[in-house]
Amino acid sequence: MKSKVISLTKVILKNSFQNMETAKSINENKNRKSKSMIILYIFVFLYLAGIIGVFSNGLIKELMEINQEQMFLGIILLGIAGFVLIQSIFSAINILYYSKDNEYILPLPIKPSQIVAAKTNVLLITEYFIVAIIGLIPLTIYGILTSASILYYISMLIVLITFPIIPVLISSLLVLIVMSFAKFTKNRNRFQLIATIFILVVVCVLSFTVSDTQTTPEQLVQMVTKANGLVEMLRGAFPTLGMAIDSLTNISFENQILNIVLLVITTAIIYFIYIMIGQKLYLKGAVGNLASGKKTKKKLNETKAFKKSSLGKTYVGKEFKTLLRNPIFFMQCVLPAILFPILIIGLTFAGIKGEQGGSITDIASMITNKTSIYVGIGILCAIQFFLMFIYISATAISRDGQNAVFMKYIPVTLMKQIDYKVMPNIVMTTFMSILTIIMVEYLFKLPVIYLLVITVAGIAMGVLQSYISIIVDLKKPKLEWNSEYAVVKQNMNLIWPVIFGMLNITLLIILTVIVGRFINSYIFIAIIAVVYLLLTMIVRNYIKNNIVKLFTNIY
Amino acid sequence: MESYLESKGRDFVMIKIENVSKSYVKDKKSIDDLNLEIRDGEIFGFLGPNGAGKTTTIKMITGILNPDEGDILIDGKSITKEPIEAKRKFGFVPDSPDMFLKLKGIEYLNFLADIYELPNEKRKERIEELTKKFEIYDNLNSEIQSYSHGMRQKVVICGALLNNPKNWILDEPMTGLDPKSSHDLKEMMRKHCNNQNTVFFSTHVLEVAEKLCDRVGIINKGKLVFVGTFEEMKNKFKENKSLEDLFLEITENEE
Ligand SMILES: Nc1ncnc2c1ncn2[C@@H]1O[C@H](COP(=O)(O)OP(=O)(O)O)[C@@H](O)[C@H]1O
Ligand SMILES: [Mg+2]
Repeated sequence: MKSKVISLTKVILKNSFQNMETAKSINENKNRKSKSMIILYIFVFLYLAGIIGVFSNGLIKELMEINQEQMFLGIILLGIAGFVLIQSIFSAINILYYSKDNEYILPLPIKPSQIVAAKTNVLLITEYFIVAIIGLIPLTIYGILTSASILYYISMLIVLITFPIIPVLISSLLVLIVMSFAKFTKNRNRFQLIATIFILVVVCVLSFTVSDTQTTPEQLVQMVTKANGLVEMLRGAFPTLGMAIDSLTNISFENQILNIVLLVITTAIIYFIYIMIGQKLYLKGAVGNLASGKKTKKKLNETKAFKKSSLGKTYVGKEFKTLLRNPIFFMQCVLPAILFPILIIGLTFAGIKGEQGGSITDIASMITNKTSIYVGIGILCAIQFFLMFIYISATAISRDGQNAVFMKYIPVTLMKQIDYKVMPNIVMTTFMSILTIIMVEYLFKLPVIYLLVITVAGIAMGVLQSYISIIVDLKKPKLEWNSEYAVVKQNMNLIWPVIFGMLNITLLIILTVIVGRFINSYIFIAIIAVVYLLLTMIVRNYIKNNIVKLFTNIY
Repeated sequence: MESYLESKGRDFVMIKIENVSKSYVKDKKSIDDLNLEIRDGEIFGFLGPNGAGKTTTIKMITGILNPDEGDILIDGKSITKEPIEAKRKFGFVPDSPDMFLKLKGIEYLNFLADIYELPNEKRKERIEELTKKFEIYDNLNSEIQSYSHGMRQKVVICGALLNNPKNWILDEPMTGLDPKSSHDLKEMMRKHCNNQNTVFFSTHVLEVAEKLCDRVGIINKGKLVFVGTFEEMKNKFKENKSLEDLFLEITENEE
């Protein structure tokens, strides 16, 4: 039983890494390319680690000055739990239901419980990468700054391994439950798409209500005196949070050991229960996914069916249809544009609200200079951050797979087609920018003109990156795939939007620090917007002048 | 008739392939100095065993691949220098029929009709005519994903014929079609050739070529080894041992 689970886990993991390998085209020098990719990954990792390290260092020192450094433990663990919970919802849906290895694994003589265990393990292993960044680094810094004993580091490792398990199980179970209803529906594919959206909406709503729990003023005062309000509030609802904090806090040796043991045992029990329930639910939902669309004969609406429309309209329409009708493309390319701003901005402020007991208007009043350059650049950086997760354009060619050659034999200029293909990305980034701005406006109440300038800059930034991303895809398209998952997840090209994004954020911050003080913030942001638009024109011109060359890899 | 054609300033040649070479990998020519003329109003069969270079040639004719050397003219327009004009002059059926699976059949056809700028009245008539002929009219309102291999092939064929192109270029069109559809397709190819239209298709099946083609060309390892009528080809095979071996390599019948 056990060895089967382990080998299955290995197979699924290997499969997804091999898929990454084949992302490279055949006639390239493999070794050199993959080496430079690894260096790139290390660079990105170090960059993120650096940011988190500096942030942790500052925060811990601040807290130490008021003798409240243990608060940091709660904040980090809560952060891990929240991040893993949300992140693993996405991965759970993909790995459990939309993964292509289902085709090979499901017909094999393996027990459902073993499949569920193996897939959950894969889920966990991928989450540990994130935990290493957002958990290991801050907690190590905490250990160093508080000159903790060796016991702290041991329990830190145990906590980091065990603590993320339950959040993963919770989101995975949520996915399993909802998807198991697929058994009762006629069109499983459509159901799973709707269910996916439903789950994500539930997650959003839950995260708001949890952090928004009503408390009486007296309780609130008590909590604030306890100094970590939100953590305390959640201790009851989420028992392992308390255990994890206590096993890292130096109250007494016995207490620390006791909490470690409790944490491990609780996690093990919940894992066991999860597998018991999971195996019953899994097959009901998963098997259905293999049966692709049924043959249905639906009558044509004769008056509407044969309508002529402009080329641009149908072309962009076709792009949107293929995006929206494909569950994996929809989840990976469209949903993040909507969810990330809501979740991250919402949670951040709900969190601040919970901890300080203040209301949003208090936060708004905390910002004294609402037209400050830092507010504007901060919003732009947030938009840029969300932009990194919208890769409609970065996969625009690859998503077509073998159909990509279609672009080359129809009598429409390639440049026009590029403009059409970039359009969905522009629409979604614009939508995301406006959504972000609306949320910011709701929270901060900035002057309208300033907001408008920022919006224009944000949208220009999105347009620029839509064009840059499609160059990446044109140069190294991934056209040979048999699962959509390979295009949007196991695709090396997607590192580039992240690199551009981080570069852009860094440049924005450096620029602000250097010249920000000397320029009116309206003009500064407006100049940035103009620069983005000029760059867009340059990039688009580059594509136009090199269009035939850019398309040579598509055949 | 002749004066009409001459007045167009070209000598009955619909597709002209001039000294075309192509290599995917350095120093290995997949197409080696190919010269070929397809005349107005003929069905031309492009024969060759698997890996001979048929698809590569067709990809160059349709503008999917750029030739390393040489040029290709379609109805007098160069596919590399005037690509848009050249592309308006053919309808293309690629070897894999898995086109835009998430679109409904009707959406795919309308999309193509918009690309080829078909007016409203004509498009309804044309789509109905073609899809009813191939018996996929009733499925038009479902996603192509739900179609069988043959049905997908048929939708793509309908799409290529929507604007009644002067050239009809097909890569291995018979694979995956049932006997009746295969027969229908051949009939349509014949019909399309009237009005001085041209059909150019590749196949690795001799029998298809024998019944259908006015002329055939045989390609092997990237080189054109024969052009002429099917009868001429048979005679030549009798004289030439190496050609006969090649003949055997090209499948006699389907499966
Ligand atoms: N994408 C490619 N990369 C490298 N070589 C290729 C590629 N496509 C085809 N070839 C090579 O070109 C030659 C001709 O292939 P192709 O035109 O597909 O043959 P056919 O269609 O006649 O079966 C073959 O030797 C094949 O290996
Ligand atoms: Mg071929």
